[in-house]
Amino acid sequence: MSIRNFKWRNLYLWFVFIVLYAPIIFLIVYSFSKGETMNNFHGFTWAHYQDLFADSRLIAIFLDTLLVALLSSILATIVGTLGALGISQTTRAITKNTLLSLNNILMVSPDVIIGASFLIFFTALKIPLGFGSVLLSHIAFSIPIVVLMVLPKVQEMSRSLLDAAADLGANSWQLLSQVTIPYIMPGILSGFFMALTYSLDDFAVTFFVTGNGFSTLSVEIYSRARQGINLEINALSGLMFLMALILVIGYYFINQYSSRHRHASTRGRRK
Amino acid sequence: MAANIQPIVRLKNVCKSYGDHQILKNINLELEAGKFYTLLGPSGCGKTTILRTIAGFTDVTAGDVEFDGQVVNDLPANQRQVNTVFQDYALFPHLNVAENVAFGLKLNKVPKAEIDKRVAEALAMVQLADFGDREISEISGGQQQRVAIARALVMRPKVLLLDEPLSALDAKLRKDMQYELRELQQSLGITFLFVTHDQEEALAMSDEIFVMREGEILQGGSPVDIYDEPINHFVANFIGESNIIPGKMIQDFEVEFVGKSFECADAGMRPNEAIEVVLRPEDLDIVAAAQGKLVVTVDSQLFRGNYFEIVAYDTDGNEWLVHSTNPADEGEPIGLTFDPQDIHVMRLNETEAAFDARLEKYEDD
Repeated sequence: MSIRNFKWRNLYLWFVFIVLYAPIIFLIVYSFSKGETMNNFHGFTWAHYQDLFADSRLIAIFLDTLLVALLSSILATIVGTLGALGISQTTRAITKNTLLSLNNILMVSPDVIIGASFLIFFTALKIPLGFGSVLLSHIAFSIPIVVLMVLPKVQEMSRSLLDAAADLGANSWQLLSQVTIPYIMPGILSGFFMALTYSLDDFAVTFFVTGNGFSTLSVEIYSRARQGINLEINALSGLMFLMALILVIGYYFINQYSSRHRHASTRGRRK
Repeated sequence: MAANIQPIVRLKNVCKSYGDHQILKNINLELEAGKFYTLLGPSGCGKTTILRTIAGFTDVTAGDVEFDGQVVNDLPANQRQVNTVFQDYALFPHLNVAENVAFGLKLNKVPKAEIDKRVAEALAMVQLADFGDREISEISGGQQQRVAIARALVMRPKVLLLDEPLSALDAKLRKDMQYELRELQQSLGITFLFVTHDQEEALAMSDEIFVMREGEILQGGSPVDIYDEPINHFVANFIGESNIIPGKMIQDFEVEFVGKSFECADAGMRPNEAIEVVLRPEDLDIVAAAQGKLVVTVDSQLFRGNYFEIVAYDTDGNEWLVHSTNPADEGEPIGLTFDPQDIHVMRLNETEAAFDARLEKYEDD
């Protein structure tokens, strides 16, 4: 009985994964196909990858995308972490809940609306569209993510850790740099990586605020796909998938590392 | 308390309130060098708040906190000459054992070589000499406790504050730690201020105990004084087990309860004043009913290992708790005897100051 159940479960699991990953694998497989369409596999070639690396515009866009993602996630991590620390220090429940709700509304509202509102905002303030506007909007939509990832760690931290550090002679800056920040570091890293991935694959918001001349990968792929199928895009997708995989694995190892250091101070807590 | 010795820490008329809620009501307290003090009381009585006002985590609403005669009300926690051992240990999870102990020394920019030396000494002091490289999450609760103590002691404070540090340990370990703490305190000669709700812990370790209730210190004194001469019903009940019986003070050295009059060692009260009498269960001896000063009927008994705990009732319906090495027969009458000095008389609503004054008056006679 249990063996039968077990098999069905496995089968179901495989089915779900195949459905989820088949399109991506299909795309990647065709990136190695000779010919210009995805109708038939015409034999193996690296040609599309060669085209890709010869496409200086695409490489420039790729680097821009990476730059925007890194800059926006670093800045958003700083602002978001400070925000989480601030929210956790509000004493009145109503202030705290209002701040959190305002934070969460940004998380759940559709990207299209956020994108459109940024466009209106930037045009109203006469901020030129381009690298700056994309960076600003990416920072803006990443901050709530960081806050959400950091806040639980801040709240988990026992108040007596800060008392203990002050007791041992720490001033406010040392409390922050030597106790709080190290303690919430796993949350900060999670927030950073989340912000990074959100920025890398954002399409909707970016699409509104790129303007002419500046583009990110997702916007570029979209506009190229509209002009017809090009297997170079498949090659690019394959590379991006690989990058995502590396990010996820990296994130996993960081988590593993930090969970080894956790668990202390939760022991023997009373009151 | 000798007035000529300058106390290290003094609380003068300290009050603390949050809104309308008064946590501390006019606390006066003096800590001398090298003694082991305990703040004892049920949870919520304000004992931890006193600790926090001394450490500098909580400011006072009124009154003064003094160190060596200097008012330190506005001195922040990181500049005070005290260190604290927290109830939840508050060890830094991102640092290992040695780094935790070295934390305060590093902040104070102590040279590296001296840090290493003092950390090693402190860890040896709490018997964790080989544990420096361990992560906090890898050691047991009892060991974390020791690290917390080492981390505070390595700073060489004049006063060590301990906030219910043993409450999370199991009974056996708690007992061992009581001995160790007492030994540490005596060998280092540092003043300890220990907070607990466990009266056994307080009696076993302290030079002086302050019994607290609802933000007030009810009585301060040596464990023996407080045990033998509790000031009121609450203290008598809280410290050890006791039989508290309503009675009447006929005249000096003569008290009446359960309809009989007895010789006693207390005096200084109005004739025929209503009082309460305390008799400790271990001071009562069981004799044949005919020879007893009191006759009670045994209701039930429990074997406690080294004694029998016997519950009996007198003719007025008062419950009597008796500790005896011999068992009694349930349902049978027994006689109880006691010496005059075993009777402790408590006036109703007497303050500590009045109590001390009265004691001094008739003991001098």
